[in-house]
Amino acid sequence: MRGNGFGFIAPLLVLMLVAFNAPIVYMLGLAFWEKGRGFTTEHYEGLFEAPVYLRVLGNTMRISLIATVANIAIGYPLAHWMRGLGDRARMIAIALVVLPFWVSILVRTYAWIVVLGNGGLVNRGLMWLGVTDAPVSFLYNELGVTIGMANVLLPFLVLPLFAAMIRIDDRLLQAAASLGASPRTIFWKIYFPLTLPALAAGALLVFILCLGFYVTPAVLGGGRVPMISNLLDTLINQIPRWEQASAISTLLLIVTLVIFAAYRRLDRKASS
Amino acid sequence: MIGGSPWTRRLLAATGIFGLVFLTLPLLIVIPMSFSSARALTFPPPGLSLRWYETFFGDPRWMEAMWTSTFVAVVSSIGSLVLGGLAAYGLRRGTFRGRDWAEGDFMAPLIVPTIISAIAFYLALAKTGLLGSMVGLLLAHTVLHIPVVMMVMGVAIRAFDLRIEQVAWSLGASWWYTVRKVMLPNLAPSVFAAWIFAFIGSFDEVIVTSFIAGKYETVPKKMFTELILEVNPTITAVATLLIVFTVVLLAAVALILSRSGKLRQTLVT
Repeated sequence: MRGNGFGFIAPLLVLMLVAFNAPIVYMLGLAFWEKGRGFTTEHYEGLFEAPVYLRVLGNTMRISLIATVANIAIGYPLAHWMRGLGDRARMIAIALVVLPFWVSILVRTYAWIVVLGNGGLVNRGLMWLGVTDAPVSFLYNELGVTIGMANVLLPFLVLPLFAAMIRIDDRLLQAAASLGASPRTIFWKIYFPLTLPALAAGALLVFILCLGFYVTPAVLGGGRVPMISNLLDTLINQIPRWEQASAISTLLLIVTLVIFAAYRRLDRKASS
Repeated sequence: MIGGSPWTRRLLAATGIFGLVFLTLPLLIVIPMSFSSARALTFPPPGLSLRWYETFFGDPRWMEAMWTSTFVAVVSSIGSLVLGGLAAYGLRRGTFRGRDWAEGDFMAPLIVPTIISAIAFYLALAKTGLLGSMVGLLLAHTVLHIPVVMMVMGVAIRAFDLRIEQVAWSLGASWWYTVRKVMLPNLAPSVFAAWIFAFIGSFDEVIVTSFIAGKYETVPKKMFTELILEVNPTITAVATLLIVFTVVLLAAVALILSRSGKLRQTLVT
């Protein structure tokens, strides 16, 4: 007799309940509980009254949106170009996309300090070309943070998008061509709509990851470009206001889960 | 392939190559910089030397951090592999109710923003008095890398022919015996891949570790602290070592998976 297999997941289930679910629930509850007074919503009310929270929220949304759009602008043509490559070149291209994905985010973020710094490659290139006389400051401002985030997240968009593009049957496109459709028509009427669910799913994924980004804004922003995560760090580690941190985390988690649900729907559609 | 005019194609190729350069250039720049003889981060380096590697290997604090990172990564990745691998099998082959719910829960550390997990671990460990303890660090790292193990093993188990297991069962093998003697030898390449991915994930983990590790220093945690304080060229040597370490491990995974014909399967799905 083999049983129903529950024994295989039981150890992990116990670990998750104790070491993940319980901490999350405890954190979520913290904002609603005040010692000696019981249930309260004052920590949530506090969020909407303090302009600093709203400013950080606006910052985070704007940077995330720009980084996502930049990802689409670079990622879509890249994935499309990879689809058209020969087998060997395509494998090399995939390797070049996958490798950075696995390299430590700190290394990739640090690398941008080297590349974008005043004596860095980009500034020397720009000055050599005569585009600018003085070094452009890319670091420790929003521009640097956005470039760094777009770079770190690009594989998350390119890989699923490429997988969806490679599934499109070439004969479909040939059939359209044989019926007299121009390349432009084929692209916009057939190819692009077929890749749209994967593109939308990838963009949502990138956006979610942007919202919770911590390392890149901390390093490339130099403390001058606060995003939600950095605010949370301050509320936990520097001025301990755990209840406030709990309230903000709850909101961030809800937003993330809502977008993730939309992502799941699109992702199913993309892979069916 | 969609034709398009030569100009469209050239533009596409240019954008594609730009994308690849954008992804890889920063990594390629860091490597020569780590051999620079100068303190300033100028490219190309004015002269070559190994002084930043000497600083790194000669610094007991960095060596200590290396040991801690390695220890945490080895222990937690084995924990993630065993628990996640068994659970992936139970979810694919089991018949109990609530499997979707359990799978959603096991994948949650991937979806919940890491900063939120970090805060939750921090608060819960502070409450239980385990903040800054090795036990807390190991538990958190194990939990965080369950999803990657589940993904790799889930794909591998789904692709494995159920009928082979059924033959073993019909010959009287117990479920546990089948897993050990039939599944494991066949899935060894995927098990290796899952373990390496969990290992890299744990070795590179920075956010949760910075929140809960207390006096323990890991390589990423120390690197992060130094990056925030000042840009020190020793970091360039550390970064190069981490790049080499990742390339070597990924190459090992690719080699083993391609020998067993599982590379495509793991990459694409």
